[in-house]
Amino acid sequence: MEYIVEKIGMSRTITVPAKPVTLLRVVEAKVCEVTDGVAIVAYNSGKKMNKTIEGQQKKYNLSAEFNRFVTLSVANSEAGDLDLAPLSEAKIIKSSFNTKGRGFTGVMKRWNFGGGPAAHGHRFHRTGGSIGNAEWPGRVMKGRKMAGHHGNSKNSVKNEILSFDAENGVLAVVGSVSGPNGSLGRVKVVK
Amino acid sequence: MRNKYIENFEKAQTAEKNIPDFRAGDTVRLAVTIKEGSKTRTQNYEGVCIALHGEGTGATMTVRKIGANSVGIERIFPIYSDSITDIKVIRRGRVRRAKLFYLRDLAGKKARIKELRK
Repeated sequence: MEYIVEKIGMSRTITVPAKPVTLLRVVEAKVCEVTDGVAIVAYNSGKKMNKTIEGQQKKYNLSAEFNRFVTLSVANSEAGDLDLAPLSEAKIIKSSFNTKGRGFTGVMKRWNFGGGPAAHGHRFHRTGGSIGNAEWPGRVMKGRKMAGHHGNSKNSVKNEILSFDAENGVLAVVGSVSGPNGSLGRVKVVK
Repeated sequence: MRNKYIENFEKAQTAEKNIPDFRAGDTVRLAVTIKEGSKTRTQNYEGVCIALHGEGTGATMTVRKIGANSVGIERIFPIYSDSITDIKVIRRGRVRRAKLFYLRDLAGKKARIKELRK
């Protein structure tokens, strides 16, 4: 079973030892169409609207705020509100979020290169250094670690569920998930 | 302002805790459970609360006392943690700031705090 969730933020428990907790809010979603447990699910994110979305909303009788569509495996057998019952029995989830985007990043931050000494006439500070041999092989090997775009890529972690508040749809999981607060991600029930 | 979902989550945990109302300058006695191997015992720690930090389940307090050989001891306790079984306010102090770090530089009679009179 999969769900679209919003990362709310982190907290902790008062138990001994204390556990770090991430709170996730299950986004309100409507199941449009189910075939063999896999469904088209509509949810709201931002204000994006075009004629394609409008057409889909008309087709599935959705109100105007449901402007995003995804394919999820669901517990529902027919269209309607997304069934949250599996979450109250779940123990472990796999949460997939996009990591925080770090833009164009040097090799020290991106690949944990050591870098060089800072002072005393050194001219090798944070640069990547040599990227290979000379005339042979005459090219840079594939997979060479260099500077470039870092972050904003999908990252999945398994988290243990601490509690699920069905009334507010708030899921408390042990440990952290990637990405900034307020970002949307996917949660899959593993166990 | 804190997020309402985080606040609800933390309130549910701290609601049953019976924490007395106190602030910096008050003398408090804490009962701290200590686990040594398989045994657990309770140790009392008494001193002046010199600062409160944070809010929600992560809130902490710094408690200062003068130990043997007049060595100052400061310990930071998570207020709502289950390891703190009891907090008693012994004496209310009259102070004019929220953080009493200046007490670290004072010794003897200068480091006294007047009792609060209503």
